[in-house]
Amino acid sequence: MLSGNLAKIAAQRSLRMLALAIACLVVLVPLGYLVLNSVKPQNEMYTIPPIIIPSRITLEHFEAAFNNPRTLRFLINSLTVTGITTAVTVVVSTLAAYGLSRMGLRAGLLSFVVFIFLFIRFYPRITTVIPYFLVMRQLALLDTVWAVIIGHLGITIPFVTWLMLIVFQDLPREVEEAAEVDGANPLQRFGLVALPMAAPGVASAAILTAFLSWNEFLIASSVTKRQAQVLSIAVASFVTDRGVQWGPMAAMAVIMIVPMILFALFVQRYLIRGITLGAVKG
Amino acid sequence: MSTIATLKRRRRLRHDWIWMVAFVLPASLLVVAVQFYPLLFSAYLSTQDWTLTSSQSSEGFVGLDNFAKVLRNDVFQRAVRNSALITGTAVTLEMILGTALAYLAVGSSRTIRAVRTLLILPLVIAPVAAGTLWRMMLNSQMGLTNYLLSFLGIQGPDWLGNADWALVSVIIVDVWMTTPFVLLVVLAGLSSIPDELHESAALDGATRWKSFIYIDVPLMAPLLLLTFLFRMLESLLSLDSIYTLTLGGPGYATFTMTYYIYTLGLRSFNLGMAAAASWLFMSFATLALLVVFWLQRRWQTAQ
Repeated sequence: MLSGNLAKIAAQRSLRMLALAIACLVVLVPLGYLVLNSVKPQNEMYTIPPIIIPSRITLEHFEAAFNNPRTLRFLINSLTVTGITTAVTVVVSTLAAYGLSRMGLRAGLLSFVVFIFLFIRFYPRITTVIPYFLVMRQLALLDTVWAVIIGHLGITIPFVTWLMLIVFQDLPREVEEAAEVDGANPLQRFGLVALPMAAPGVASAAILTAFLSWNEFLIASSVTKRQAQVLSIAVASFVTDRGVQWGPMAAMAVIMIVPMILFALFVQRYLIRGITLGAVKG
Repeated sequence: MSTIATLKRRRRLRHDWIWMVAFVLPASLLVVAVQFYPLLFSAYLSTQDWTLTSSQSSEGFVGLDNFAKVLRNDVFQRAVRNSALITGTAVTLEMILGTALAYLAVGSSRTIRAVRTLLILPLVIAPVAAGTLWRMMLNSQMGLTNYLLSFLGIQGPDWLGNADWALVSVIIVDVWMTTPFVLLVVLAGLSSIPDELHESAALDGATRWKSFIYIDVPLMAPLLLLTFLFRMLESLLSLDSIYTLTLGGPGYATFTMTYYIYTLGLRSFNLGMAAAASWLFMSFATLALLVVFWLQRRWQTAQ
């Protein structure tokens, strides 16, 4: 009887591990295939049946990519856009969220503000992309990184303000009230009291912003032509090119995603917190 | 409290209020400039006859003509059907798979933590890159998918060349990319259910399945419903992966609402019709958002 139960538990355990192993394979195999294609020699690329594991590893596709001055341009643009967007978003949104949460707004008004944030996050962005393109054309900002950055800020600021609003509303008020009695002005209460307590939330918000900006395609593709193009556009551009260029295409995709995968592994805890915070607490 | 103290307090609050307004101002200005102004501009565009390739400025007010043209357009109708089909199927699969995987991936052992790390990788990969990667995977001749299927004795379909299979491909990529999101949210929801509930249910002789149905599902119902709606909206809006996976093709087979508006506005530069189509899309999304919002409020007051 007891051994029967043990056998059953062991069987359940191995079934569970089997299911998880399959799920991991489903995630890893396509990623591994992408990496293999990026180091596969040209003559093994288009055979039928396909050669999955290359006979030798070549870096020719990466060399070709980096020998092209445009690749460096894409990389620098992506880094600039992501860096500035993240820095500005964190400062502006954290301040705004603190202000909103400490203004003493009536509950009805505050939930209206929250609805606006939710609306901006989820309405069809394509609606504003075309007018945004026209505005940027008017301002002669087309094909500059600023057009991309301002466009990204339009998404990330409402989103991060919303996240940080949840964080600040969860903080205990007592310490801030004590600081207020001691004569601290709002900026001091924000910077010296509330912000340190909210630091993990700020980290999550910054990380999410960086991912969003690095991976973004729609806005970047609508306001750039050549000079200000970013990596997402470089990756997408291979689709419309005549002929199949799997090697360079895979290499460019690897250049785009590998830094983000490493970064994600490094900051995993904050990333997961940020992703679930908005969904679970809203 | 003495009157003077009250007055002082009131003055300080008003003084604070100015600070708070200053804190909120930069964000508000940016949102108005980058979100609300283009929204109003787009409402205006939807009533104009303006194709950028033939004219640098609008060729006049046409009332609701653009809306009528869009609604009668075959490609638009097909895009609406495709969007409903792709989003409906993909999100349902994601909810089921994500929830199941969350139950399998509960735990704090080193192996389980490593597995969770691996499983969430697709979430951080750029959708354009995910589309690119699956474009290679699903290539009928040279791709890995059909090669692996051939070992099982299955002749794989022409995934991206056949209209029906191309829709299936889009669904596969959506599921691959965002099932981890559902997994994470359900894991977070599960961790908020007190262990005692499961323990006492087990003592009363409830099976795992019964405690899932009678404890977890009711407690997580609001969360699951919200996740479903969030995913539905996000899936409807997604463009990047379709762009690199199929380019809407073959023909118009995988045109979705977002993709249709994108090509209309930023490839054919028919600004009026694109704006009209996006407002039709928008009215639906707003309705869904109001439901989300209402549910969130109700859920919060229930807690």
